[in-house]
Amino acid sequence: MVPIQHYLWLAAVLFCTGMFGVLVRRNALVVFMCIELMLNAANLTFLAFARQRADNLGHVSAFFVIAVAAAEAAIGLAIVIAVFRSRGTLNIDEIRTMKH
Amino acid sequence: MAFSECLSQASLADCLQRFFATAPVDPAGMAQSLWLIIALPLAGAVVNGVFGKALGRSNTNLIACAAVAGSFLLSVLAFWTLNDPQAVLSSAYRRDPIPYAIGEDFGTWFAAGTFRAGFGLDVDHLSATMLLVVTGVSLLIHIYSTSYMGHDEGYWRYFAYLNLFVAMMLILVMADNLVLLFVGWEGVGLCSYLLIGFWYDDSAKAWAGRKAFVVNRIGDFGFLVGMMLLVLWVGALELQSRGTVAQPSADPWRVALLRSGPLNFRGLEEASRRIAPETSQITGAIPLDATIAQGPLAGFSFGSVLTAILLLFLLGAAGKSAQLPLYVWLPDAMAGPTPVSALIHAATMVTAGVYLFSRVSYLLVLSPTAMAAVALVGALTALWTALIAFAQNDIKKVLAYSTISQLGFMFMAVGLGIFWAAILHLVTHAFFKACLFLGAGSVMHGNAEETDIKKLGGLRKEMPWTWATFLIASIAISGFLIPLSGFFSKDAILHGVHSSALKGYAWVSPTVWEIGLVSAFCTAFYIGRLYLLTFEGKRAPDARVPHAHEADWVMRLPLVILAALSVLGIFYGIPLIHTSAGWETVMENFLSPVFVTARQLTRLFGTVKVEHEGSLLAAWAETWVIALAGGGLAGFLYLKYFPSPHRAPLPAERTVLHWARHKFYVDELYELLIVKPVRLASFVLYKVVDTLLIDTIAVRGTAWVTARLGSLLRYLQTGDTQSYAAVMVLALLGWAAYALFQVLR
Amino acid sequence: MSFLDSHLVNAIIFLPLLFAGIAALLPGLEKGQIRVTALVGMLCTLLLTLFLYLRFAPGGPEFQFEYRARWIDSLGISFHTGVDGLAVSLMLLTGFLGPLVVLASWRFIDQRVKEFHLALLLLQTAMLGTFASLDLVLFYIFWEAMLIPMYFIIGIWGSEERQRAAIKFILFTLAGSLLMLVAILTLFFISQPAGARSFDYAQIYNSLIGATRELARCTNSEAPGACASLSPLAINLRTYGPLMFLAFAIAFAVKVPMFPVHTWLPDAHVQAPAAGSIILAGVMLKMGTFGFWRYAIPYFPVAAREYRGLFGALAIVGIVYGALMCLAQRDVKRLIAYSSVSHLGFCMLGMFALTAEGASGSAYQMLNHGVSTGALFLLFGMLYERRHVRLLSDYGGIAKVMPWFSALFLIIAFSSIAVPGTNGFVGEFLVLLGTFKSSLPLLFGVVAATGVVLAAAYMLWMVQRVFFGPLTHPENLKLNDLRARELATALPFIALALGMGLLPQPFLERLAPSSSLFVARASIGMPGSQTSDQEIQIKVLELPSATSSQRAAPPTGDREPMTLPAGKYLVLPNPGQKPR
Repeated sequence: MVPIQHYLWLAAVLFCTGMFGVLVRRNALVVFMCIELMLNAANLTFLAFARQRADNLGHVSAFFVIAVAAAEAAIGLAIVIAVFRSRGTLNIDEIRTMKH
Repeated sequence: MAFSECLSQASLADCLQRFFATAPVDPAGMAQSLWLIIALPLAGAVVNGVFGKALGRSNTNLIACAAVAGSFLLSVLAFWTLNDPQAVLSSAYRRDPIPYAIGEDFGTWFAAGTFRAGFGLDVDHLSATMLLVVTGVSLLIHIYSTSYMGHDEGYWRYFAYLNLFVAMMLILVMADNLVLLFVGWEGVGLCSYLLIGFWYDDSAKAWAGRKAFVVNRIGDFGFLVGMMLLVLWVGALELQSRGTVAQPSADPWRVALLRSGPLNFRGLEEASRRIAPETSQITGAIPLDATIAQGPLAGFSFGSVLTAILLLFLLGAAGKSAQLPLYVWLPDAMAGPTPVSALIHAATMVTAGVYLFSRVSYLLVLSPTAMAAVALVGALTALWTALIAFAQNDIKKVLAYSTISQLGFMFMAVGLGIFWAAILHLVTHAFFKACLFLGAGSVMHGNAEETDIKKLGGLRKEMPWTWATFLIASIAISGFLIPLSGFFSKDAILHGVHSSALKGYAWVSPTVWEIGLVSAFCTAFYIGRLYLLTFEGKRAPDARVPHAHEADWVMRLPLVILAALSVLGIFYGIPLIHTSAGWETVMENFLSPVFVTARQLTRLFGTVKVEHEGSLLAAWAETWVIALAGGGLAGFLYLKYFPSPHRAPLPAERTVLHWARHKFYVDELYELLIVKPVRLASFVLYKVVDTLLIDTIAVRGTAWVTARLGSLLRYLQTGDTQSYAAVMVLALLGWAAYALFQVLR
Repeated sequence: MSFLDSHLVNAIIFLPLLFAGIAALLPGLEKGQIRVTALVGMLCTLLLTLFLYLRFAPGGPEFQFEYRARWIDSLGISFHTGVDGLAVSLMLLTGFLGPLVVLASWRFIDQRVKEFHLALLLLQTAMLGTFASLDLVLFYIFWEAMLIPMYFIIGIWGSEERQRAAIKFILFTLAGSLLMLVAILTLFFISQPAGARSFDYAQIYNSLIGATRELARCTNSEAPGACASLSPLAINLRTYGPLMFLAFAIAFAVKVPMFPVHTWLPDAHVQAPAAGSIILAGVMLKMGTFGFWRYAIPYFPVAAREYRGLFGALAIVGIVYGALMCLAQRDVKRLIAYSSVSHLGFCMLGMFALTAEGASGSAYQMLNHGVSTGALFLLFGMLYERRHVRLLSDYGGIAKVMPWFSALFLIIAFSSIAVPGTNGFVGEFLVLLGTFKSSLPLLFGVVAATGVVLAAAYMLWMVQRVFFGPLTHPENLKLNDLRARELATALPFIALALGMGLLPQPFLERLAPSSSLFVARASIGMPGSQTSDQEIQIKVLELPSATSSQRAAPPTGDREPMTLPAGKYLVLPNPGQKPR
């Protein structure tokens, strides 16, 4: 069997990659993709622990996360489309209307 | 028994005596109707004030005069009733009733804690004398005013205020406790304000009214603080003397203190009886120099607190009676109509201070220090203002300063314990001063409101009635040539002062006496000057009208009556009654029941020792010579005044005259020392403390700091989603590190 | 107690609210209808308040006409209202000013009439509620509720700088109130053991009595071991008592207003419309003094005595400083505002004197100030309505063209100066007497007495500048004298000023029991005061029993397992079981 640490390391690397992307990338769509990456990393962690504990709780949680990720992606993409329509750009640096 | 029946049985003299010694009304009934004396002028004031304009001039005059006339009649009845042996006052504070007094408690005014002030009226011989003077002189002045103010627009206001004044003065005179007296005290000050500033279009006149009120208020401050301390004093006395009495609860004084309040005059009289001299020990009494054991006054002795109280009362009396240092309002008060000056500032309101001290005579004689202060204040004021009166050219101002000077005489008498002489002088002064003021009013009326005596002259032929009454009144006040009432009253004071000595202040009475003599000389001088410049000689070249016209009979009648009273007043001042103590004047005998306690305490404590130095006749002669000298000097200088003085004044004279004309710059001094600093303090406090420190720095400063803090914090809102996310991540990492750290420990 | 008695106070409190509701339904353009509705509402409230006042028995129990209902049990808050002598007198004052305020704004307020009258009626409810509430949270709710309508009245219908004045007013008072909230919560937690906690005024007070006595014994004695054996409540009271007292005191001091937190008052008064000024000066300032009387001092007598010198000195400073400020003013309303500071200084001095005369005088002075300063603002409002200027230099010689108005103004001015015969004298005399009789230094009384001289100085100066002298401005020539409505509005004030001055006993009788209890409570443990717990305990209604509709709370602990409806369910494997 694959030791659980491998899964956890993989999940951690995925999570950090995703976080780095969220903080640094300028394109809104790429930011969303990175968010998905973070969510999947969380999923992987859940499944790894579920396997280790021989528990169904992790699987159920993963399902929850997938459902929430899907909903969040839908709404987020809708917002991105609305922003693109009004601003013509997806560059986050240029969308700062909430500035003081 | 009826008068006619009596004649058949006894002699006329006996029947007359019995007639006048029997009250026309039941004394108890009279006591219950005393409030009417106050209510009539009060009602008159309200009716005239509210409806006067609609009622018309003659109706207003009628209502005003009728109200005061009614009061006068009732006062006469009250006076008469007092002679009845059945007229006794049963005071709650004493076991035995008080003869020659009637009174009634009409209920509680306000009460809180152990304090109570009630609506009580108490009329004894002193109050009755004041009642007659106040209502009588007021009636004459009301009649005079109907003609004097005959062309004034605000006549209804005038009579309303005048009636209100009379009501207030009557409250003052009849009150049975200090708080109610204070009502009348401030009330007359209020009416004085309204009447002095009667012609309010003129800022200066309105300001004079305000000056009067504010200066009076300074005196009232003293009075108020004195009253408070007196409440504390009585309380301490009651507490500390409880141990010396066998059954405190059976003592009517103690019981009444709780039920009727500590500031009742009869109660205070009883309290003064419970003070013993330092050396002796009387049961139920506390020595004067005993220390107060507990309460806010702890540590002070009864005597020193009483002295402080009386000195504060002196401040109050100095304010109301225009003595040093608070006399400055009276000369400015001449801005009001002349009848007002006659009534308020000659006959009634200014005598309130003298009345107050006479009322609390039993307290005054317990403190030689206070008595010395009163006498000295009176003497210095008498001299100071007499000197100012020398150089005044305004007829009313001369009379104003003369009033202050004469009030000084009254204070001299009070200060040395000769209360009856002060009251006698009060009465005679009321008559001749009112006559002088009304005469001045008549002169002004007939000369187109001219008040400068340098621009008058020669009125003797043109205004005979005014001249005659003014002359009689002038002779009365100065005692020049013919001794009239004023001569005897002033001499009673001077003789009394000369033959009394204050305990511990032996130097006071000779000093006061000498100052009194000099002031008498000055009085004769300036009155002579006033009379001569106004009435004798030739008409001044710059007079307003070529010929003066005499006043109508409405104005002449009061003048005549007052002049007659100035003459008849002699009978009160001559020793006509023979008692066990020797020959007494009528006034002294009349007022003796009032000052019984004061006399007892004086004898007990030895406050005032009477040493007869010289006979009465010699004293009379001395005073007569001085008056003659003063009048003679005035005659010498001014008889040939117009058209020009027969010699130019010397430079020394000129500086003295300059200073006197400008009232020794006292007003300016007060302005510099008091008014300007208060104004400055108020301005500085407003600009610096309120506006700058509190409002700008503290309040707006707080708002500014909050706003700046907000601006700074706003920089966190970059609008950049990723920086927000970065902050979240950092926080998360920090927390994770902390958790890890905790787990690994 | 009959139904009438128990619901009278509630009716009084909520009647203006009812009429506010009615007025809200009226169309906004029907100004006359709205005004009449408001007036009728206020008059009905006045009648009921008068009825309450007359029915209040001075010799009876301390708190009468009580009503108590369960409200938020879990927090210990009940809807508890009731009145004592001072509260009923102040409620009468509020009821009295209500219709007069509506009459005063009859012609002056022409924009947004509906909103204005709604604000007035809501304000009336809030004020009446504050006086009548016997539950701390209820008190706080009404207290805060007062601020909003007043903010609107100043901010919308005021003069040039109204917004700034309104914001200053609300933030200043709010800051103080928040401190009070903290103190209330602390008191809630400290004063009673867990499980028996409530916000009820009487319950908190009764539970503090014992601890206060212990603390007083501890602070009064110089023996070293006296403070060793204090109960936990007493220890808490010792540590936090002064802080809580100061928190309450600051909140109320801002309201009074005392020096140095008084600067909101001149701005608020100057900018507020006449009605706002009358209510502000007439009633709202009394909230501060009432708060001291009812809450701050009785709850923390030991702390109050500790700070007595400070507050007494602040009161004296208020008297003299306020008077001196008046002399430096050019704006009439600002002058009257500072005179308020001076008068309420007397009030606070009488309270901190802790003597029967001083307390009675202080309470009476609260009523007096409402009448005389309210009247001053009313009368000046009439002048302002005509000329729309406030500076002294804009007037002069008014007595010539408006004699009746001048006469009434003079009478009120004399009442303000405390001329004997007017109401001001009785109050000031009793306050001064109380101060002299107290253990405060004699100097306090003497300095306070100089206030009478300064009062005469500034008031007569103002009267002189406005009414006397020659008519310098041509605009003043055309002024009309009092109209019938204005006369009708002003006369009740004059009648009260003179009536309360000549016959104060009926008012003093109702205040006397309240004063003596206040003094007894404030002097617990002072050497020389012997009051038993029986005398000073507050006796009020108990909470009504739980009605059948309320189920008792389920006991904490194991819950009964829920029974599910029958049917097939997904069966999850138990934890710990190995998956097949």
